[in-house]
Amino acid sequence: MRGFGELEAAIMDRIWSADGPLLVREVHATLRPERAYNTVLTVVEILYRKGWLTREKEGRAYRYRATATREDYAAGLMGEALDASTDRAATLRRFAERIGPDEAGQLHEALEQARRAGERR
Amino acid sequence: MIAAAALLGYAGLLLAAGAPALARARWPDRAPRLAVAAWLALAGSAAASVTLGGLALVVPTVRVSADLADLLTACVMALRAQYAHPGGAALAGAGAVLALAVTARVSWCTARTLTAGALARRRHRRGLGLAGHPDPRLGAVVIDHHEPAAYCLPGGRRQVVLTTGAIAALDHAQLAAVLAHERAHQRGRHHLLVSLAGALAAAFPRIPAFRQAHEQVARLAELLADDAATAACPRLAVAGALLALGAAAPVPAAGLGAGGSATGARVRRLIAAPRPLSRAASAAGMLTVAALVAFPLLTAAGPALAARGENYCPHAAAAAPAAAARSAGTAGWCGLSAGC
Repeated sequence: MRGFGELEAAIMDRIWSADGPLLVREVHATLRPERAYNTVLTVVEILYRKGWLTREKEGRAYRYRATATREDYAAGLMGEALDASTDRAATLRRFAERIGPDEAGQLHEALEQARRAGERR
Repeated sequence: MIAAAALLGYAGLLLAAGAPALARARWPDRAPRLAVAAWLALAGSAAASVTLGGLALVVPTVRVSADLADLLTACVMALRAQYAHPGGAALAGAGAVLALAVTARVSWCTARTLTAGALARRRHRRGLGLAGHPDPRLGAVVIDHHEPAAYCLPGGRRQVVLTTGAIAALDHAQLAAVLAHERAHQRGRHHLLVSLAGALAAAFPRIPAFRQAHEQVARLAELLADDAATAACPRLAVAGALLALGAAAPVPAAGLGAGGSATGARVRRLIAAPRPLSRAASAAGMLTVAALVAFPLLTAAGPALAARGENYCPHAAAAAPAAAARSAGTAGWCGLSAGC
């Protein structure tokens, strides 16, 4: 299962880094270590069915493209993990929640003072 | 009956007076570990008291005797007496419903909270596998995202997650502080503590004390991790990291609360470095927490414990005649019972 997840990640990585839509054959050719073509084909089709890839017909084969850019996908994932409106069962709180600009200014000053006091000591 | 009233009264007292008092107290910032224990003990003890109080209504207390036949007779008599009049039966019925309802609700909500968490984490972990890349030097998964954020994914395969935005916003010492903070969460299994408090809050959404317990355990878990980070990194680096990421964090959809933010309070606490609670005060606190938990258990088990102190066995000197009386037949049972 872990190996499968890694292959999914490797395939998405190739597709995200490519300039345009890729054929399964092209994805397969760049994967290291080399995987069986049929395995790659299966996983690409799974990713398509899950909605992570779209495809367009080209001759007898399909060209695959990611439905969202890596950045959008990451943003969605972060939103899901850190959204304050959900109860965030998956993660603990983010390290720091929002500090407003006025408060941040005061805290910067207090921190600076504490640093200087520490140096003097 | 008295035990049931005491238990239900105790639960009411904890929820109506104990929780607000603990929320107002100022010492938790100086002893977050003790405070987490206090909140969990308060919430758990209140739920347990209601359950045990319900049970105490169902089962009338019977003087425990070493003699099984005697005990059974006493039980039957007491049960008959209670269920003989309709009021007793109704009360016992209400007690049974109360005990069952609370047990079922708490178990269900705990199971649901834990499984929902595990499922969401698994999904999130798969997503991280696709979009993030592990950084062995940091011991964290890095994800390309402009918003600065750091968090940890607890459970089986633990992961600390950092966005590229967070790495850009922090200097070297601050980054180490963030990592130490998140690892403290994982080491202390803080997500379990927060989930347990959350399950109780979900089980009784109408009771503010449980919601308060959940919020406070979550807040105190952050203080615990901050303190652990200061053990490994300079205190002001932890404060600086909080300020850097907090000031750059996006404004939450719910908007900012009036007054200072929770993260701002953590920065102030790190700068001021309050002295931890004295050893004596911590010990007294731990004793109080133990008493909070022990009271409902002792009250419910009271009759059995009281019986332990009683001398219900015949003295060694009396043992021979007692044995003789027992062998003499059923008349002996009465004699022995009267002797107890």
